[in-house]
Amino acid sequence: MECDKCDRDAVMQAAYSGGHLCETHFCRSVEKRVRRRIRSDTLLDPEATPDDPETWVIGLSGGKDSVVLTHILDETFGEDPRIEMLALTIHEGIEGYRDESVDACVELADDLEMRHELVSYEEEFGIRMDDVVEDDPENMAPCAYCGVFRRDLLEEYADEYGADKLLTGHNLDDEAQTALMNILEGDVKQIAKHFDASIGDFEERAEQDDFIPRAKPLRDIPEKEVALYAQLMELPAHITECPHASEAYRGEIQELLWNLEENHPGTRHSIMSGYEELAELAADRYGGDDEENKDLSECEQCGSMTGSRICRKCRLLESIAAV
Amino acid sequence: MDVTVDVVSETTHEVSIDDGATYADLLSAIDYSPQEVSVLVDGSPVPEDQPVAADTVQVVRLIKGG
Repeated sequence: MECDKCDRDAVMQAAYSGGHLCETHFCRSVEKRVRRRIRSDTLLDPEATPDDPETWVIGLSGGKDSVVLTHILDETFGEDPRIEMLALTIHEGIEGYRDESVDACVELADDLEMRHELVSYEEEFGIRMDDVVEDDPENMAPCAYCGVFRRDLLEEYADEYGADKLLTGHNLDDEAQTALMNILEGDVKQIAKHFDASIGDFEERAEQDDFIPRAKPLRDIPEKEVALYAQLMELPAHITECPHASEAYRGEIQELLWNLEENHPGTRHSIMSGYEELAELAADRYGGDDEENKDLSECEQCGSMTGSRICRKCRLLESIAAV
Repeated sequence: MDVTVDVVSETTHEVSIDDGATYADLLSAIDYSPQEVSVLVDGSPVPEDQPVAADTVQVVRLIKGG
């Protein structure tokens, strides 16, 4: 089978578009879609200048998604004086697994000559996920603890490094799963937050004084294509599953989406295009200075913004320390 | 035709398929979605809608997260 654009062999078929592309045209197509998303999200502030550049912090785990994101951002903006980029890696205390992926992060950052920072749960909180999983004081899935701690450190350190934006490698499958989960849970306020926090066009988002705005430039690229891109470009991605991975509900949704995609190619794309429109409407209704946001105050223990007296991270840490 | 399907780091399957069956049919015979794996022939990725043209293929599972 030939590529649609040249006479080389196709390496992939995009069932949702009917296209077949060779290695070169496929990689170009991924880059083009990421750049288009960056433009349509107005990711680069039109007011950024070489004298007053924007700072983007990239959440770099060393897995395929964040490695591909970092690579494409560097290719696109590495020489752009309006943007300063740095990569931030979190070590959760998962022996073996995270040690190897940190090596992948260091290698990539070296290759790209990008500033790279590493912070760990152990140094910041005095805990390691391997032990948390063992004790499990709240009787929760490992990802439920880990997600709270990771978000906290990404936010804290992005802030410390002066980030205007925090960029993560979420792909189309991740975002379509989250969208569908929010819909199935009936959580319209969460959908509004999703828009203002991470998927809206920066020109349309409500100001978020308390949190660093996020962006997900890979969110038009199916997970499989992100993996293929990493492989074809020979990027130093670390390809192993987290030994504690356990998001049962997300796994169920993922399988549902695979089945839908097989019988109705393009389902993930259409979910996202409808969801983004709905999320913007929800954000108009609930976003910005609504009642809920007004109630945010500083956590009594760590000072991060929370809706209660003590934030979720500090409550989890107390519960872990009590074991 | 008989095809050896090596799911990398997991199991190897011997699968009988009809002439003209595609790589997607091959995946379906071992219960994988084309969304969760890549199919390689001689180390190169192949489009899943193409008819199977090798008696040995490798299947690489996608790894979630990072």
